[in-house]
Amino acid sequence: MCGMSIKSISNMTNTTIDKIVRKIPAATVKKEGVLKAIKWTSDHLAAPHNNRLILGATAIIMQPLIDLYNKNVDEKTRKVSVARTLAKIIAGTTTGYFIRYACLKGIEYMTKEPIINNSGKIINKLQSAIFPKGVKVTIDGLKHYKNAIGTIAGLGVMLFTNFLIDAPLTKLLTNKFMKKLDIKNNAVIKNPYLDCPRMDIFTGETNKGGE
Amino acid sequence: MNNKAALSIFDKLYTKYSGNMGKMLVHTGVIGWILSSAAQIAAIIVNDKIPKEQKMFLIPQEAADACVNILSFYAVTRSFCAIAKRLGKTGRWIHPIVKDFLSKKNLAKKIGTTGFDISKLKLPDNIKSTYNWFSQGLEVGGTTLGAILSCNLITPLIRNLYASKRQKNNIAKMNTPTVQCNPLYGDKVNCPIRKTLARPITPSNGQLKV
Repeated sequence: MCGMSIKSISNMTNTTIDKIVRKIPAATVKKEGVLKAIKWTSDHLAAPHNNRLILGATAIIMQPLIDLYNKNVDEKTRKVSVARTLAKIIAGTTTGYFIRYACLKGIEYMTKEPIINNSGKIINKLQSAIFPKGVKVTIDGLKHYKNAIGTIAGLGVMLFTNFLIDAPLTKLLTNKFMKKLDIKNNAVIKNPYLDCPRMDIFTGETNKGGE
Repeated sequence: MNNKAALSIFDKLYTKYSGNMGKMLVHTGVIGWILSSAAQIAAIIVNDKIPKEQKMFLIPQEAADACVNILSFYAVTRSFCAIAKRLGKTGRWIHPIVKDFLSKKNLAKKIGTTGFDISKLKLPDNIKSTYNWFSQGLEVGGTTLGAILSCNLITPLIRNLYASKRQKNNIAKMNTPTVQCNPLYGDKVNCPIRKTLARPITPSNGQLKV
């Protein structure tokens, strides 16, 4: 494996993907509803804030259930983990959605086509600051470009908001959810060994553990 | 950064992502995971309340967790993205208008076969536009589905398994006192041994070195 080049790994992946694609039945999508759904996905789901919202909405349905049915831990741990997961999803999705939305709007403002005056100078410098001037631009391409730059800008902003908003909000919500789920912090983890019977070797009497 | 360098960056980003939304979602998703994990690690580093010894454990643990998250996200989401893209590109899943056009051009037999690439054909504007939104829709849909499965199903399952194993180990360590309970037994009578004392207790003389 160590001797394999990146190209050969990539070719292997492509072959596997081709095999999977060949197993998927061919289809001509004729149903109006399905076509509308695909068009809607193309137009809206690629927008960073909408994509984050979809991920958050599905997360809130799936992740707490996974935590709730985690049989490997005790009931208290399960409840705490549900509270924390819910808090993390709500805090992350809310801040993620609004930051991405604001960044996208900001990027849209700065991606206008440049207006050049008679002396060859750009009038709207700020509004065309990140318009790609060196390549041929299409309407669809520009829309996707704005989404990409908006997402990247959002990630930059979130580097700070992860500390400033996400973390305190997650803590606050976790505590609220823990209260609702009636989880007390002073619960003691039971030590099974301390409950073993102990014997006084001089008298030969046995006591109940923990006494 | 001078103006020329900025322009070339925006041009490159346009070329890379203007027709490739699935790829953009995968790449920005991975960057998002890395930044989020970096924030978690930095939060541990700057937290004065955590002792140095605990930091030495928590930082690699957080880094390992981040690696699992990022790898799972990248592998699953990228695979879904690639499959959805291939379905659109080869025409295995195709819009009826595009299919009719290709059939008229005697390309019906090639539709859906490996290596066939509709995006490389010269298509009239209306057909190209239909093909573009249809294949973009498939790609974005596939990528989103991959991200949902990876972030909301695979990663939490792996993380829970790992965390519960760690918790069990830590509780076991916590429950093992190092203090000798009774030196008169002649050996280290600590709790794991005391567990065996739950049986009927009959101290053997051999053990009693009085």
